[in-house]
Amino acid sequence: VNLSQFNRILQQVFLLPVVALLVTAGALYWQIRGANETVSLIQESDARISEATLVAKLVVDEESGLRGYETTGDTRFLQPYLDAQPRLKSEFSTLDDMAGTDVEQRRDITELRGEQQTWRDAFAVPVIATVRAGGSADDVGLNLHGKTLMDEIRKDIDEVIHNAEEHRAHRIARWHRQVRTVWTVLLLLALGMGVLIGLFTRSRLHAVSVAYRTSLEVLSRRTEEIFQSEQQLRTTLASIGDGVITCDVEGRVQMMNPVACGLTGWSQAEAEGKPLEEVFRIVRETTREVVENPVAKVKRLNRVVGMENHTVLIRKDGTELDIADSGAPIRGQASDILGIVLVFRDITMERKTQDALIANEKLAVAGRLAATIAHEIHNPLDSVSNLLYLMRNGASPDESKQFMDMAEQELARVTQISRAMLGLYRESKAPVLVDLREMLQEILLLMERRFIELGVTVHAELPSSVSVAAFPAELRQVFTNLITNAAEAASRGGEVCVSISPQPVSETAPGPQPPAGATVVIADNGPGITPEVQSQLFQPFFTTKGERGTGLGLWVSRGIINKHGGTISLTSDTSDSAHGTAVSVFLAMKPTINAGGD
Amino acid sequence: MEEKSHLVLCVDDEVVGVQVRKILLERAGYRVLTALNGLDGLDIFSREPVEAVILDYSMPGMHGGEVAARMRETKPAIPILLLSAYIGLPLEVTSVVDLYMTKGEGAPVLLQKLSSLLQPVGAQ
Repeated sequence: VNLSQFNRILQQVFLLPVVALLVTAGALYWQIRGANETVSLIQESDARISEATLVAKLVVDEESGLRGYETTGDTRFLQPYLDAQPRLKSEFSTLDDMAGTDVEQRRDITELRGEQQTWRDAFAVPVIATVRAGGSADDVGLNLHGKTLMDEIRKDIDEVIHNAEEHRAHRIARWHRQVRTVWTVLLLLALGMGVLIGLFTRSRLHAVSVAYRTSLEVLSRRTEEIFQSEQQLRTTLASIGDGVITCDVEGRVQMMNPVACGLTGWSQAEAEGKPLEEVFRIVRETTREVVENPVAKVKRLNRVVGMENHTVLIRKDGTELDIADSGAPIRGQASDILGIVLVFRDITMERKTQDALIANEKLAVAGRLAATIAHEIHNPLDSVSNLLYLMRNGASPDESKQFMDMAEQELARVTQISRAMLGLYRESKAPVLVDLREMLQEILLLMERRFIELGVTVHAELPSSVSVAAFPAELRQVFTNLITNAAEAASRGGEVCVSISPQPVSETAPGPQPPAGATVVIADNGPGITPEVQSQLFQPFFTTKGERGTGLGLWVSRGIINKHGGTISLTSDTSDSAHGTAVSVFLAMKPTINAGGD
Repeated sequence: MEEKSHLVLCVDDEVVGVQVRKILLERAGYRVLTALNGLDGLDIFSREPVEAVILDYSMPGMHGGEVAARMRETKPAIPILLLSAYIGLPLEVTSVVDLYMTKGEGAPVLLQKLSSLLQPVGAQ
């Protein structure tokens, strides 16, 4: 806005003087033209005066010629008279033309012409005729008459000349006036235009100065705003709980906040300008491989990137921290990358908390399982102890045998249960081959009582044995968890279906293929789970079971499955016709175990 | 000895367990009716002049607490002894029944508790 204002003012400042000078020039031209006309009128008067003088001279010549002839009688003296005659005629008409519209002058000229004609006819022609005839023309009366006529002529010529001179004087005076007027006009115009241009320029300059001042104010306000915003950002950055490092596009450190300095062990001054990988050294926790520099990764992918799990930051002094981080590009207006922001935090405590939670969930699962087992053992033990009581209090041999058979049968049940229980806590350091079918059968056996209590029917579709490399105790925890959830969701009269489908490597299918393994599906026909709840299911401490749940089951399960290099997914339907939930767990036969879980 | 001919109803889904308990109680002089689930138990309870009920807690279909509550609705005076393999049953279940005990405490405890439930009737 300001710039166009400036341009308009510049145009005005240029145009106005040009227009003003053109107007001045026009006025002056008009004035000078008036003066020029007067000058040509003066010239005309001059011409008329000289013409009249010429006429006067011719008249004198004419008369002199006649006098000479009159005195001598010699015709040679008559020559000027004869010469003057035609010339006078033409000069008269010239003079007449010059008079133009001046009526008085014309009358004078006509009169003069008539008198000259009269002088010639009444005096010159008779005198010449007399001399030619040999007579004498010294008659006083005649000559006196000629003189009188000539005097008239002279007087008239004088009058004409005088008249013209008067005109001339008059015109010169007018010219003087005009010149004075021109001067005055010139002066006034110069003064007026000067004042006008001055005033105008002043007002325009005032506008410019106002605009300039406004610009300055805006600029200083902007500067203040930018300063404040920068202060705000700086304070935000400094007080943020995460470490923040900004790099230029080459990956050189530009700025580090105090947390970043604390975590890396580098001060801002030391780190500035150093390559990021020198200041921010990160390696994979398990393999100690150097993790791809986040700057390179952001530049390569041209988007915000999160970091891989289990990254360790090696501090300046060589100590290590578990960290989580993310990198984001800083974009210019043309969305080109100007730099990279790296945000990271110390998750050592978080990891410990997580580990504690996982252990806690393990204990909770173990506790629930222990109760189930105690229940399973209590029932047969009760029968056995009752049978022993009966035998002690007098039983016939036949009866004793029957009682012992029954006691044996019940003890076999206890043994079966305790064997299943042993498998449950066979904790191993390295993955071992686990038969999924066997494991699921054991779990279902242990949970049989629970299903009965809940009034749930269980279908198991376990066609063939599939072995995967895994940590059995952990897998057992996952499946127990999932089957318990399914049974509780199905509720009284509901159904739970547990199935295994082996997944061989396809030889023909194109593209990247999942590794050979098996998918365990645990489905129920419960009411289903709404999408809102589904999105939170794998979050820690989220539970739909109120007091009875720890809210850790699915979270830990997913962690365990991820650790096994597998996947866990959930589909659910809440419609009236096909409600229910199915959880699929894919496990590879020869997985890459990711230690640490989650 | 006429107290010993009390009619007792045993409800438990454990086939062997209920069979053994029946023999035990008959030896102790009771007449015993058995049911393997809650619904059958309620059916017998309403038809027969049962004088006491020994009820298992965890059963398919309907758990002991629920069965006890229904029995109270029809014949509130009949004493109920609740058996459970669990320790620590919820209060809303234990408050309904007269007595409860954990399985495995042994036959003498069972017989003593049962007779304590029936004795006062004859004594007073």
